[in-house]
Amino acid sequence: MSKEFDNVLDECLERLLVKGETIEQCLQSYPEQVANLKPLLQTALAARQAVAIQPPAEFKAKARYQFHSALQEWASQRRRPFLSWFPRWATVVTIVLGVLMMGGGTIAAASYSMPDSLLYPVKLATEQVQLALTPSDIGKAELCAKFADRRVAEIIYIANKGDAQQVEAITQRLDERLVMLARLTSAPEVAEAPRMLESPPVSSEEAGDDKDVQVKANNRAKLRATVANYAINHPAGLRAALEKAPESTKPALRRAIAVSEAGYERALKAWD
Amino acid sequence: MQNEESLVRRAQHHDQEAFAQLYEEHFDKIYRYVTLRIGNKTEAEDMTQQVFLNALESISSFKWKGIPFSAWLFRIAHNQVVDYLRRKKRTAVPLDESLASNDNNPQLVVEQRLDIEQLLLATKQLTGAQREVISLRFAGELSIAQAAKAMGKSQGAVKALQHSAIVALRKALRVTEDE
Repeated sequence: MSKEFDNVLDECLERLLVKGETIEQCLQSYPEQVANLKPLLQTALAARQAVAIQPPAEFKAKARYQFHSALQEWASQRRRPFLSWFPRWATVVTIVLGVLMMGGGTIAAASYSMPDSLLYPVKLATEQVQLALTPSDIGKAELCAKFADRRVAEIIYIANKGDAQQVEAITQRLDERLVMLARLTSAPEVAEAPRMLESPPVSSEEAGDDKDVQVKANNRAKLRATVANYAINHPAGLRAALEKAPESTKPALRRAIAVSEAGYERALKAWD
Repeated sequence: MQNEESLVRRAQHHDQEAFAQLYEEHFDKIYRYVTLRIGNKTEAEDMTQQVFLNALESISSFKWKGIPFSAWLFRIAHNQVVDYLRRKKRTAVPLDESLASNDNNPQLVVEQRLDIEQLLLATKQLTGAQREVISLRFAGELSIAQAAKAMGKSQGAVKALQHSAIVALRKALRVTEDE
């Protein structure tokens, strides 16, 4: 097959996988290639199943924690010559003062903190501000899903440390985010399913509007896929954590599992 | 989102926040890529972590000479996959069931697991280069330009490879469906 066909195929793949167009829309642009193109695009959609492969929540939480430990060690390698002559207490005071003065840096560092960190309240406050400053329902829904992912990682991390009370508290926060997510997925802006993609463009004047609609539809489809993945991986990660957790945290973890299952079920209902 | 080049430059100056952001943006994609290449969840977990630790060690040597950071990261992942396959002297093992497990929604589990298992079985029928391009494009979600940089090939060559890989995948998926 020719180089030209390789280009046509690639262009259609971009439209299908990145821009969220349908196979039919792609084929309309190349009516003479339908017979060759259609089966390949159908196969490409099957290959798209690869995005359903998700790292388990428990592994992700553990890997993130280990990576941040390595990151701190790596970052400190540069500072060490400067701080090495400081007494340990003075080093700690210097770092704390530095962090307090950094502002944006503190907020960024806080976003990766765990509930047993001094920066954790900053992380929660930053999340509230982000939600308040995001105008669209779909943007808010994306943030809710992202924050729910963080809460699950935190629950797994804290459960391993045997702090049942903290697990309960984080579960409560997880529930709040999932309730908000379910409310937002019912909103028309978010709930209007990616089915809209199936309608072909009406006229060339409306091409700009159509692109906007497609971007929005693509965002909805991505959010739907993320929530569907979390609906599988979050309860699964929590169940895996339950097996290894100390007995004292097991009841709290069971509640977290129930909260995540019910929360995602509610959120996904709007799309069904 | 800040542009990748600025994040990488900051990371090269030991900016933790910048590196953490790069990590978050690429972690799932690297995991999916490795899993699709080797088909083993436990090994994919270890290798994904190692990819980022290697990137941390060598970020200072990364240079912006037309190679995007994502392509550089996938090259690290690719080298690890090659080392792994060489060590194990096998191409893939069956997919772990826990990759798509959800006891509360059996129908969803079965459908998703079947789809992923079929895909993994089918990709085993492809040549190494075809499997690489499918993993980069569909699991790693790289563009043709990024995939070309990651593979050290021209975009034209990768487009041709992508075409042959999808044709081969179609045949392989038909075979796995028939079995």
